[in-house]
Amino acid sequence: MFDFSIVTTWFDSLLRQTLGLGDFWSILIECILVGVLILAGYAMLAIVLIFMERKVCAYFQCRLGPMRVGPWGIFQVFADVLKMLIKEIFAVDKADKLLYCVAPFLVIIASVGTFSFLPWNKGAEILDFNVGIFLLTAVSSIGVIGIFMAGWGSNNKYGVVSAMRGAVQLISYEMSLGLCLVTAVILTGTMQVSGIVEAQTGPWNWLIFQGHVPAIIAFLVFLVAGNAEANRGPFDLAEAESELTAGYHTEYSGMGFGFYYLAEYLNLFVIAGIATTVFLGGWAPVNIGIEAFDAVMDYIPGIVWFLGKTFAIVWLLMWIRWTYPRLRIDQILKLEWKYLMPLCLLNLVLMTIIVAFGWHF
Amino acid sequence: MKLNNLVFDKNSFAAEMAKLRNDKHFDYLVTIVGEDFGEEGLGCIYILENTDTNERLSVKEMAERIGDDYVIPTVCHLWKSADLLEREVFDFFGIKFLGHPDMRRLYLRSDFVGYPFRKDYDMSPENNRYTLDDDIEPDFTYEYSLDADGNLQAKQHKLFTDDDFVVNIGPQHPSTHGVLRLQTVLDGEIVKKIYPHFGYIHRGVEKMCEKYTYPQTLALTDRLDYLSAMMNRHALCGVIEEAMGIELSDRIQYIRTIMDELQRLDSHLLYIGCCAQDLGALTAFLYSMRDREHVLNAMEETTGGRLIQNYYRIGGLQDDIDPNFVSNVKALCQYIKPMFQEYMDVFGDNVIMQNRFREVGPLSKADAISYGVSGASGRASDWHNDVRKNHPYAMYGKVDFDEVTNGMCDSMGRYLIRIEEMKQSVRIIEQLIDNIPAGDFYIKQKPIIKVPEGQWFFSCEGSRGEIGVYLDSKGDKSPYRLKFKPMGLNLVAAMDEMLRGQKVADLITTGAALDFVIPDIDR
Amino acid sequence: MEANNKSYFGEIGDALKSLATGLKVTLKEYFTKKSTEQYPENRKTTLHVAQRHRGRLVMKRDENGVVKCVACTLCEKACPNGTIKIASEMVTTEEGKKKRRLVDYQYDLGDCMFCQLCVNACSFDAIEFTNDFENSVFDRDKLVLHLDKEHYESSLPNILDGGAPLTIGKFNTATK
Repeated sequence: MFDFSIVTTWFDSLLRQTLGLGDFWSILIECILVGVLILAGYAMLAIVLIFMERKVCAYFQCRLGPMRVGPWGIFQVFADVLKMLIKEIFAVDKADKLLYCVAPFLVIIASVGTFSFLPWNKGAEILDFNVGIFLLTAVSSIGVIGIFMAGWGSNNKYGVVSAMRGAVQLISYEMSLGLCLVTAVILTGTMQVSGIVEAQTGPWNWLIFQGHVPAIIAFLVFLVAGNAEANRGPFDLAEAESELTAGYHTEYSGMGFGFYYLAEYLNLFVIAGIATTVFLGGWAPVNIGIEAFDAVMDYIPGIVWFLGKTFAIVWLLMWIRWTYPRLRIDQILKLEWKYLMPLCLLNLVLMTIIVAFGWHF
Repeated sequence: MKLNNLVFDKNSFAAEMAKLRNDKHFDYLVTIVGEDFGEEGLGCIYILENTDTNERLSVKEMAERIGDDYVIPTVCHLWKSADLLEREVFDFFGIKFLGHPDMRRLYLRSDFVGYPFRKDYDMSPENNRYTLDDDIEPDFTYEYSLDADGNLQAKQHKLFTDDDFVVNIGPQHPSTHGVLRLQTVLDGEIVKKIYPHFGYIHRGVEKMCEKYTYPQTLALTDRLDYLSAMMNRHALCGVIEEAMGIELSDRIQYIRTIMDELQRLDSHLLYIGCCAQDLGALTAFLYSMRDREHVLNAMEETTGGRLIQNYYRIGGLQDDIDPNFVSNVKALCQYIKPMFQEYMDVFGDNVIMQNRFREVGPLSKADAISYGVSGASGRASDWHNDVRKNHPYAMYGKVDFDEVTNGMCDSMGRYLIRIEEMKQSVRIIEQLIDNIPAGDFYIKQKPIIKVPEGQWFFSCEGSRGEIGVYLDSKGDKSPYRLKFKPMGLNLVAAMDEMLRGQKVADLITTGAALDFVIPDIDR
Repeated sequence: MEANNKSYFGEIGDALKSLATGLKVTLKEYFTKKSTEQYPENRKTTLHVAQRHRGRLVMKRDENGVVKCVACTLCEKACPNGTIKIASEMVTTEEGKKKRRLVDYQYDLGDCMFCQLCVNACSFDAIEFTNDFENSVFDRDKLVLHLDKEHYESSLPNILDGGAPLTIGKFNTATK
């Protein structure tokens, strides 16, 4: 399997030894380069995801989706982005200007932050701390502050109601999300993202195979909670276009709105990415213990595996999104506190027992 | 029916009305028609129905003149629907209802001067310019009463308390299905009170009709409730034909019945979709829109319209049915029957939807009747109010179909009734489609249609309730007064009662499940 | 939810079943044929427009291109909106009879509400609605038509016959 760290080590040595730069300059150059790469990847994925959502949603709805801009409508999103860029950004009367302006950035920072944790390939984890998973959930929570600030700051009653909903929902579902990840951590014994994926390489070693029943439960609950965390239907209460018009971003136009839009799609990708990393082996290929087969699978680069699995989950989440109606705020909380939370706790105990007795594969 | 008005003395009016309501069981106030009777003065006609025997009667009450004001004692404590109906009369005629707690205008702007439906209203364009100023709404209202000397007294009521959190749902809101504004007092997510505001697309249809010839009035009906275009026009044609004593051929009756049911199918399909859409299930919405397309296609081949059908005319139909109509409608029935299950699978049986709809927007049978919540929404409160059964018209007396009711009294019940009604519509269509008799599709009328003197009221079962038309003719080629009984007004009036103490998200659900169409309310 | 008397787990079972049914339906539709009709790509091929659709008013002409209108203004009077304005003049025919002759038949498409009252009023079968619906122009003045002077041609081939055939229950998503 191709190890991307060869490239990074080579580049590091290029800066330090061949060009003879000091610590400061080489790290600065590397950081900028990585940052640009993250943002470029972020933007590219956003475009792909928005297009995918449009087409997938259209297909579920017996429609063809965008067909006009470019063959099969593939340039539709570019046209939309262009439109959004040239739209006027106006300030709302009596809005809290500081909160109003800062909010979209917080949302996008949280989204880019979590995005940077994803392991793209062997040796291509960008942020790889020993408390990676823990930090990831912490970073993702910044987004809720952005939502809250936007709702409160834009002097709009729909916004306030939506912000309250958003906050209460995110705080609740963080619970299950965290517990599911902890369940996985028990099995792998590490919180480091690279370590978690490493633990899943080898035949039948993906976590949902390794941890069988509790891992599958954790995976499913993770999808539900992650959907809620990403504010997507049927949990898009904060937006709830039929009740609150657009919720917390009602008063945003142009790129301010664009940031929320981007963050929404990327959060979807991030949730799918984390699910892939933690439960479906990240970049680890399908290995079944037959050497010839495994060798062929290993030949496919890790990034393909990662993206493939992630997009499969994204599709799954879209399928769910475009099938179900929206819940009500009390029902959404009931679902979490009455069903998912107890299930997660039980599952955690179950997993602990299984690991303690070594009943996993 | 031709109206034979009961007339009560002005002092005994309130007591006599209470007697009708309480002793004689006339508990459904169909509508209140305000009218300027010319030299007689201003007055109202109350049309009442006994919900046990379905007997109807009308009461005429002239307003008492006190100085420049006209007054009539209110009946809003007897029939809750009178609340908005009396406000409508006040808005258009300036009759003040004594004891009514909320005498504000209903359709026109609060800064409107004069009462446009009075015959002496100055219609000159110079005096009726559209103002571009803000309409500053008062946050108080008046209750009028007479003091011991017979002078008019006004008492002011505040609409809101100081710490009320008021959210305007509408007029530009995705779920009010048009430009309805619900001024909602919220306590967190809980609804405390709803004040509906209408008139954002008030076009003065009834006033326009007073200047139009009879055929011209027909052109406006499709623009009332655009999802009951056929039934609206059926009601108006019906009242004129009844007044003129025109006998229609069987062919006309058959085709009208089929068209009415196709329209009902069309409207209910949209309803099923909109319920889903208001809950965020856009996919389910598009499934029913897709199938609605086929219904519209079948209709369009014959009528030439999809929304503005423009098919019935006084004395028959615009044109004979299309040669392919019979086969198209049969194909449609075959196509649509398995689809009902699909709507249930994808949305109606879904646990999320069930939780959102069950026990949401409750309305007891007594309240449904008192508010006059007719149509499928009323039938979900176990009120047998189907005009097709109670006052059969066209072929409805001769075809086999069930009046679908249930006693669930909630939004889920309203939804299920619509699903069942669509099946009944298909059943009616299938009975008739093969047997359309030969005959004239149009009974030739004189070029200028004049209706004999008198007052008539005729009702049809619209897609979302009873659509009634009141016609007062003085023997001219234009109606003296034409009044449409809107279906949606009563539904919106009842929303406050249904939603008090429920969540703001339930407001959307209830609105979707009640199914009102704003042009029908605003006229 | 509290109202029914199912157990905690029974409730979950039913709920999951209904959710799965929903997913099944949408997945089925994902692979069935779509229903988008691609106007304007299909405007000359698979587009169907009902023959009776009221697109705009035209004057009927005989083989010599002569209109039947005698300027009786019945349609003008029947119109609720004042869409039609007829100008006429009195001429003396060869036999010496006085006769009204049409000078201008002005029809404002922008004001028309397609109620067909003018067609109903006409006793000479001089006007009719066609299903030609592509009437949009960039200038409101261009909607004011002079029906007796225009040389009307439908904007699409065979649209007046309804175009492509219609089948109830099916959509023609193809553009060719």
